[in-house]
Amino acid sequence: MYNGGAMQKKVLSEISLYQGDVSMPKGFEIDRSILAIDTLKHSFKNLIDPSVGFPFSKSWDMLNTYFRDHIKVKHHLTLVNKDTWGNLYKPGEVTTPLLQIDKVDLRNSPDYVLLYGVSSQECSVRIHYNDNRRKGRTLDMKLKDNQFIMFPSTCMYYLTNKQQDILNFVQTITYDFI
Amino acid sequence: MAHFAKISEDNVVLQVVVVADANTVNEEGAETESVGQAYLEQHCNWPANLWIQTSYNTESNEHKLGGTAFRGNYAGIGFTWDSDNEIFWLSQPYASWVKNISTAQWNSPIGDAPALTAEQNSQNNSKTNYWIYVWNEPEQSWDLTDSNEHVN
Repeated sequence: MYNGGAMQKKVLSEISLYQGDVSMPKGFEIDRSILAIDTLKHSFKNLIDPSVGFPFSKSWDMLNTYFRDHIKVKHHLTLVNKDTWGNLYKPGEVTTPLLQIDKVDLRNSPDYVLLYGVSSQECSVRIHYNDNRRKGRTLDMKLKDNQFIMFPSTCMYYLTNKQQDILNFVQTITYDFI
Repeated sequence: MAHFAKISEDNVVLQVVVVADANTVNEEGAETESVGQAYLEQHCNWPANLWIQTSYNTESNEHKLGGTAFRGNYAGIGFTWDSDNEIFWLSQPYASWVKNISTAQWNSPIGDAPALTAEQNSQNNSKTNYWIYVWNEPEQSWDLTDSNEHVN
């Protein structure tokens, strides 16, 4: 068997994207309606006081715990919560390009961004990334109900609500990697 | 204090938590796994049957303090719960290794690595070399390796 001689590979950095369903045990499913209601409430409260944080709930905790537990076992990533918020997107809405790092404060910026489909019909996510000298590549993905996508916070992204009838609700959680 | 492993539906350990004695004893004051499971289901939003009690002092099916071993090994994240044998298993180190139920450890198909010679031990102690046996999965053999060669 050819073993490549002395030719070895070291990965110095990689852009990894994680996606999947949040498959909770039967009878313990995440009540996504709570997250949607909290997003609505929070968006109103935030108009009055922008310092109000996203409310803690059993549903949010179940999502966060499930994700952190499983990504640690499956991909050996130990994640620490940084911030969280919910967004609602109007029919046909395309967000502005989103970037969760502060380029002048990288120290306090998160490592990863998690998007979770709370109620997402025909919701698409376009993620921008650089592949070495090939800059500005994009990856289009669908975000469905109860699915997540996690990617490095250095990637810019935007979301599109492609249908014309209902609001889309998406929960964002940012994490540090230790 | 009692320790419980949170497992996934495919029996992989996700977390290990500590529960106060008061939350694991029944009305007669006896430590009962089902009481701890019910407590954890209520407070941690995960089904009772997916919380499995584990012993902090059990390793390789022996109790470090001389007590009775319980469920093979103290569970850790990534271990697998084997409900048939009531053992928490470490990940299988190599595809060819087999379970040893009596020690709750994985064994190579040809047994343990040979013992080091007195000379090799002496060199290890004087730090001129660091001889160890490393499992060679393709050759199904134990290879004697000087790991000092890989330093620097």
